[in-house]
Amino acid sequence: MALPARRYANALVIGVTGRLDQDNCDAFRADLMAHVETAAHDGGAVILDLSALEYVSSAGLRCFMLASRQAKAQHGRIFVAALQAMVAEIFEISHFNLVFQVFPTVREALAAASNEAAAAFDKA
Amino acid sequence: MPRERVADRVTVVAIDEKALARHGQWPWPRDRVADLVSRIASGRPAVIGLDVFFPEPDRYSPQAVASRLESRVPEIAARLRELPSNDALLGEALARAPAVLGVAGLEAKDARFAGPPRSPPVRYLEGAGEELRRYPGHLRNVPEIEKGAAGHGLISVDLEGGVVRRVPMAARFDEATVPALAVEMLRVALDAPLTIAPAAGGTIELRFGEYAVPAQPDGKAYVRYGHSAPGKFVSAADLLDGTQDPAGLEGQLVLVGFTGLGLVDVVTTPLGETVFGVENHAQALEAILEGRFLRRVALAPRIEAALLVAFGLALFVLVPRTNATRSAALLGAGVVLLVAGAAVAFRAFGLLFDPVAPALGAAAVFGVMQAGSLAEAQRQRQQLREQAARMAGELDAAKRIQMGLLPDPAEVLADERRVDVAALLEPARTVGGDFYDCFMLDDRRLFIVVADVSGKGLPASLFMASVKSIIKSAALTVEGSVGGVLARAQDEIHRENPESLFVTALAAVLDLESGGIEYANAGHEPAWSHQPRGQPERLDASGGPPLCVLDTYAYPTTARTLARGEWLLALSDGATEAMNARKEFFGAERLRTSLAWLGDEPAAQAIVERVRDDVRRFSGEAEPADDLTLLAIRWNGPQAAVSAR
Repeated sequence: MALPARRYANALVIGVTGRLDQDNCDAFRADLMAHVETAAHDGGAVILDLSALEYVSSAGLRCFMLASRQAKAQHGRIFVAALQAMVAEIFEISHFNLVFQVFPTVREALAAASNEAAAAFDKA
Repeated sequence: MPRERVADRVTVVAIDEKALARHGQWPWPRDRVADLVSRIASGRPAVIGLDVFFPEPDRYSPQAVASRLESRVPEIAARLRELPSNDALLGEALARAPAVLGVAGLEAKDARFAGPPRSPPVRYLEGAGEELRRYPGHLRNVPEIEKGAAGHGLISVDLEGGVVRRVPMAARFDEATVPALAVEMLRVALDAPLTIAPAAGGTIELRFGEYAVPAQPDGKAYVRYGHSAPGKFVSAADLLDGTQDPAGLEGQLVLVGFTGLGLVDVVTTPLGETVFGVENHAQALEAILEGRFLRRVALAPRIEAALLVAFGLALFVLVPRTNATRSAALLGAGVVLLVAGAAVAFRAFGLLFDPVAPALGAAAVFGVMQAGSLAEAQRQRQQLREQAARMAGELDAAKRIQMGLLPDPAEVLADERRVDVAALLEPARTVGGDFYDCFMLDDRRLFIVVADVSGKGLPASLFMASVKSIIKSAALTVEGSVGGVLARAQDEIHRENPESLFVTALAAVLDLESGGIEYANAGHEPAWSHQPRGQPERLDASGGPPLCVLDTYAYPTTARTLARGEWLLALSDGATEAMNARKEFFGAERLRTSLAWLGDEPAAQAIVERVRDDVRRFSGEAEPADDLTLLAIRWNGPQAAVSAR
């Protein structure tokens, strides 16, 4: 459940790995909130790279929901990108694409965040 | 660890059994004692010390005999009176060699010896000797004998626990300071003045010539005893009858004393040996000659106390930080260290320390600590048990709330033949928030809902109870679509949701007469349908997010008409997301297969049981992570058709 963060211009890409459920969602949320706060301060966005996320339970979804609310309150933005099939299905069933903007790839999410971020990603 | 007796300058002339057998019972006439002293003196010893007392005049003196013969044979009495007294003879004999007589301390004054005993001049340095043992009275020899003595030495010992542990090296009688017989013998032999001076560690020292005798402030010294050595003894009988050449006594420190068993002068040394009193003085003499004394510095009790405190504190700090076995080892190591330290101090420096008190004290501290930590551990275990019981109690309460709210479809729909409904909810151990509901809105419309509250335990259960009643109330009051019911319910739930929990819900209204069904989905697992002679079909996932994820949302309503005998299965993600030990999910495809195996028009109860069994078989030993909720509904057709069958 580590949150390795990569910075592209004013966007933070955070990798979420493994499983997100009742057991680890509190720790995840605390970590994520720190990043969201940083990004909101820079006027940038947080992009959750879910390519390594295998499963998210309803408790995990609640975690995402709370993060989204907090980001909104701080005028920050959270995008999610690169969902695996299982997680994509969960997102689809629970209609969490109404909560987050979902992008097929990290590159597209960065482009939505800012041109600079996409350019930085292309250079890297 | 007894002292090796290496000094060979001490000889004891023993008035032993042999001497008593040959020369009669004690007290001997003093001319015989004088004879013995003369013979010793002829051997030119360095000094003679008498551990023998002559406090009253000799009754065998010619004068004493004369007074008894006075009336009967006056001329013999007169002749006898001209002879020197036996006491005077002994005094003269003593004067032939440097001789030291004994002085004994008494706890009461003896009228015969009113003045202080004769004593050598003693120089005190810096207040040393102030605390010397003081005797109010004393016992010494008759003046005629004393005339021949070169010195007087103390021959008293105080028994401590029946054992001579410490030998007084000097004691005070009013103004006079009398050194021990051993000290005085050596001092006389050296003809040196005596000085009592303070020494290291609050002790004192008796200095004379090249010797320094360490002693406690009260004048007592710890003599390091050696084993009794019979070779140092010479029988008085052998000296008197000339079988023993007195030349062997040249330069010796000669002690005269009793070893006859009929005479009681026996003491016990710390080595556990019973020795004759005279030997005690011999041991003291040897100890002085070899300079081997045991010292117990004045600081010793404080050092022992400090050791106790330090050891105790160490245990106090360390015991709670380690387990019982290790702290016992710690105690053992500490005790061994103390004893070894005391042994080293004794062997190498002749220093006396008592390792027993600190060791026992530390053991006591250890015991109390262990009892304390045992009590603490028990208290913690008790707390854990109580906590576990509370947790279990809470979970049980959560389950009871959850299960108690669920209706039994068979009861709700008793005598209803247009529809067959069965439901099942198996709560997971930790997560609980599923529920279902089914009730008639009026005489032809059946409302069903399956929902899953995010969260776990008692809060989730209470939230679920509130959500369930809110949905029911919305279903009963809202006119219009099922989507509208969910939207209304969401508004209501928002008002009482401090934990920001959310609920997925699938709600449907079935018209039992027409088979028309309307449903709306708030982020919930889609339902499945199966038409007679058809294949199981997953209904589309259209709908909206779970209730309370977004502030407002207009949930769409989907409508369709069931075929007669068609059945629907609503379920929670506890089914599709059930996991086996390899962390695989049961998934939609396994569910499809499971449903496909059900024959045409199965009973609703058969559907839920089939799925439940397949899911459980798939999970195997893995503990279910989430509630499993299943609700099956089969439409049998309108009233008239059912009746017609």
